[in-house]
Amino acid sequence: MTEQRSGLSRRSFLATGGAIGGAALAGCLTGGGGSGGEETVTLGIIEDRSGNFALNGTPKYNASMLAIEELNEEGGILGNEIETFAPDPQSDNQRYQQLTRQAINEENVDALWAGYSSATRETIRPIIDQNEQLYFYTTQYEGGVCDSYTFCMGATARQQLGSVLPYMVENFGSDIYTIAADYNFGQLSADWVRVLADENDANVIGEEFIPLSVTDFGSTINNIQEADPDFVMALLVGANHTSFWNQRTSAGLDVPMGTSTVMAQGYQHKRLDPPAMANVYGGFNYMEEIPTDRNQEFVERYYEKFPDAAYINEEAVNNYFSIKMYARAAEAVGSTNQADIIEELETGMDVSAPEGDISLQGPVHHMTHNMRVFRCDENHNITVEDEQLIPEQFLSETVGCNLRENEETTQYVPADYYEEADATQE
Amino acid sequence: MGLGDTFDRLRRPFEGPNTLGNSRAFWVGFLVVLAGLVGYPIGFGSYAASSAALYLLYAILALSLTVIWGYTGILSFGQVVFFGVAGYSFALISMNLESALATTLALPVAVGLATLAALVLGYFMFYGEVRDVYVTILTLVVALVLNTFMAQTAGSEWTVGSVALGGFNGIPAIPSLTFGVGEAAVTLDGSAFYWFTLAALVASYLGLRALVNGRFGYTMVATREDEDRTEMLGYDVRRVKLLVFALGGALAGLSGVLYATWGNYISPSVFGITFASIPVVWVAVGGRRSLLGAIVATVVIEWFRQQLSATGSQYALIIVGVVLLAAILFVPEGVVPRLDAALTDVRDRFATNADTPEGTPE
Amino acid sequence: MNALNLVFQFADNFAFVVLAAVGLAVIFGMMGVINLGHGEFIMIGAYGTTLSANAGAPLPVAMAVGVLVTAVMGFVLERTIIHRLYDRLFDSMVATWALGLILTQGMRILFGNSIPQVSTPLGNIAYGEFSYSTYRVLLLPVALLVLGGLYVVFTRTEFGIRARATIQDPDTARALGVDTDRMYTATFVIGSALAGLTGALYAPTLTVVPGMGSSFLVEAFVAVVVGGPSVLLGTTLSGGLLGTIDAVFTNLFGTFYGQIAMLLTAIVVIRVLSNGLTGLVESVRNRVEGE
Repeated sequence: MTEQRSGLSRRSFLATGGAIGGAALAGCLTGGGGSGGEETVTLGIIEDRSGNFALNGTPKYNASMLAIEELNEEGGILGNEIETFAPDPQSDNQRYQQLTRQAINEENVDALWAGYSSATRETIRPIIDQNEQLYFYTTQYEGGVCDSYTFCMGATARQQLGSVLPYMVENFGSDIYTIAADYNFGQLSADWVRVLADENDANVIGEEFIPLSVTDFGSTINNIQEADPDFVMALLVGANHTSFWNQRTSAGLDVPMGTSTVMAQGYQHKRLDPPAMANVYGGFNYMEEIPTDRNQEFVERYYEKFPDAAYINEEAVNNYFSIKMYARAAEAVGSTNQADIIEELETGMDVSAPEGDISLQGPVHHMTHNMRVFRCDENHNITVEDEQLIPEQFLSETVGCNLRENEETTQYVPADYYEEADATQE
Repeated sequence: MGLGDTFDRLRRPFEGPNTLGNSRAFWVGFLVVLAGLVGYPIGFGSYAASSAALYLLYAILALSLTVIWGYTGILSFGQVVFFGVAGYSFALISMNLESALATTLALPVAVGLATLAALVLGYFMFYGEVRDVYVTILTLVVALVLNTFMAQTAGSEWTVGSVALGGFNGIPAIPSLTFGVGEAAVTLDGSAFYWFTLAALVASYLGLRALVNGRFGYTMVATREDEDRTEMLGYDVRRVKLLVFALGGALAGLSGVLYATWGNYISPSVFGITFASIPVVWVAVGGRRSLLGAIVATVVIEWFRQQLSATGSQYALIIVGVVLLAAILFVPEGVVPRLDAALTDVRDRFATNADTPEGTPE
Repeated sequence: MNALNLVFQFADNFAFVVLAAVGLAVIFGMMGVINLGHGEFIMIGAYGTTLSANAGAPLPVAMAVGVLVTAVMGFVLERTIIHRLYDRLFDSMVATWALGLILTQGMRILFGNSIPQVSTPLGNIAYGEFSYSTYRVLLLPVALLVLGGLYVVFTRTEFGIRARATIQDPDTARALGVDTDRMYTATFVIGSALAGLTGALYAPTLTVVPGMGSSFLVEAFVAVVVGGPSVLLGTTLSGGLLGTIDAVFTNLFGTFYGQIAMLLTAIVVIRVLSNGLTGLVESVRNRVEGE
């Protein structure tokens, strides 16, 4: 059970397989003399299954249940069957606050997975921090959260855009037009597009922020045509914005489009009639179409448990591997003591996830993800165009966040570190 | 007998034909329930108290609508406007000035701003001859304007002082309710916040009872029943409506400040159509001409919605919808007035030595 | 800025405002019921259309199914619930709000979070460097046809005259032998069918999900209140005014300003003209006739 605090030696765990790891850990357990076997393990899974975010939240809920079922079949955590507290927050942030408090104070959850949107995360993070609750946020997001109790399992905007934007510049040219959802996430993502454009010798020739309530894209399409870019970065979010794809196809707008927010989250390529998503390129850590054997086995297991499920989105897989990762950490520590588990996770961990072999960057609580560029063709078939491991860089290199050394609950933004990200300076 | 007389004298200002519960029995029951509510945190702990505080602060929002809609006949969908204005104001003031004194003063200032907003909007409507259902839709549109506007304030240019409005994400880390100066300040969390909210609710309730059973209350009810006739009798109906609207704005503002400090958070969703509809639901179900009805319905409905959500059932929202529908169809006058009528009925039938209710409930 | 862009965007916006509002306007203007579930009625129309199209029906047939389904639903709801609430305006708002809740979540349970979408037919109109979806532009004449059809129904048919008589003075109408109950039912069914038609028309160009109704609500309410008491004239005029303002401001300053300008216009119109645009037209007409 000795854990080297150097952080250089990382434990290697198999999150998807498990027999070997499980046996080894059983040894650990007896050696550690933990109190396992007596205490119960409760995981809080607060994901939307109704309301606006149900489309994104339901796969997250499903994948969590799959991970927990698989763990329980292998004997649970520390020999205990895992129990869950899994309410439906109905896409309502007020309710998220109430349920988070209930999870912590009444249900005494040992770890919490909750929320799709950044707004939700920011709503409940003060409650998480106040109660020093171990929390996993699994959505791909704008990045920059450096929080002692929060582990961000999704890829950040810099990782997502950092995989697809250079590919687009290389293949289509250097003039970029950005359309982004007009809220925190969209604004920060657009900032990252500017930073990455600068790093790749491209330029943003137009930028448009679209309120989340907008469903009519006639003028936006005209604006793009007028600017005549080499490609569009479409950072659209939510059901209303999904209308863009049918409308741009119908209007005959056939510029290639890059994205970090479409297909892998809301599986538009499955829902819309071809060729609405033709020539859309996404930078994601996961789509269920990844052709590796490991992933296809995972996909099979998922649909075996949920035959009527619609899709496995990026966030669902992040829930899945992080629940497995948590279980390994708890076994390693020999208890469900949250402070100990956080300390354990902060030493880093190699994880074998459906997307590939990835690793936890302990000091910043983020993942090095196996990022791929996915292309959707006119028949809505998905192909992988490019693949590389991309670590979280903003916190670890630019900001210098180190949660092993310092306690923090801050969210950093690119505008404070990059001139080109600061829209007010132009 | 002496004690009873004092008791009767004390309750007189709060009684009249415009409210339910004009008997000694009612007030004894009221005090018993109140004692129970005060003791709740002691029995169930600080977490339970802080959960319950949310329902109590919502009840103040419900009261703000009851006085406007139930007693004066103006259905406002805009109570959430004043609720949100006060919440945002409190956040901006307390977070910019960052001192205990500023946070203390932020409460009255935020409530004042909400009142001012209600005065401006009320003047605009009532002195512009906007009437009936058009008031309803106009207030709804104002809420939606604020919803749309606040949702797009994510950019760095949208900061007030040092505080970013935050757009759709809202403003996190709003300070808790604080009273005092510097070191001598007290911050209200958990049980203390619950007691403060309970006190504010009881004060609002009793204050409104006194108001609606007083001279001004009769003018309000007259305005509701027949605006033109009231005007002919020499009352300035527009002024009456404006004053009531401002009072409603102040109460909604108080509720909004409590809300922002309860979760240390506020976002544009408080101006959204869902949240704007909820107070109307509480008041309609509880009985819109009953202050007590609004409070009871708010607490019960919100508690019920939370329990359903916690079960994780996909039928939760359907059950909420069906229950509301049933309440509207089968208990049109509101659940609490219906219960009151039933109780009175029972009492009249069986009581041989009943204390005569001097003001029979409507 | 290209002039044709502006024209097409105006056509698009005008159609959206009119179609979003017309079902609500008929039910509100004729019956005084504010249908807070209006958006969900539209959603039902869109679901009916998309599901039938997915089952193999040609798009026009699928749209007819969408309209029919919504009309039938309107009939059932009117007979079971709404007709109990005619003299209780505000209660009907709560009831329809609850209905909206039930419909949204009910569709989610029945058909999941999303259903396969239909693509937009008819291609595009290209002009220079620009192009616009033909289908979206054609929604303008469709909206005008709907308004024209309603005009004929309510002014030129026996039914329309009876319906209007019922609205203006139910007691007298009843005394004259009009079955007012049937008139209310018929009006509600027409309003529902119009909401269904809106859903059917937008099914191929918007995202059909259980929560889609809310994206129509703002425009619908704003249009009704700006229009004023006369349903047809009011909806047409507010469609024109709001469509123009939205197109111009969106073009000049961006989508957000288009929305805000529209909402502010609504507030100003209500303040200045307590009877909406219809009231303005009538007072101008009276003045002209008076001279």
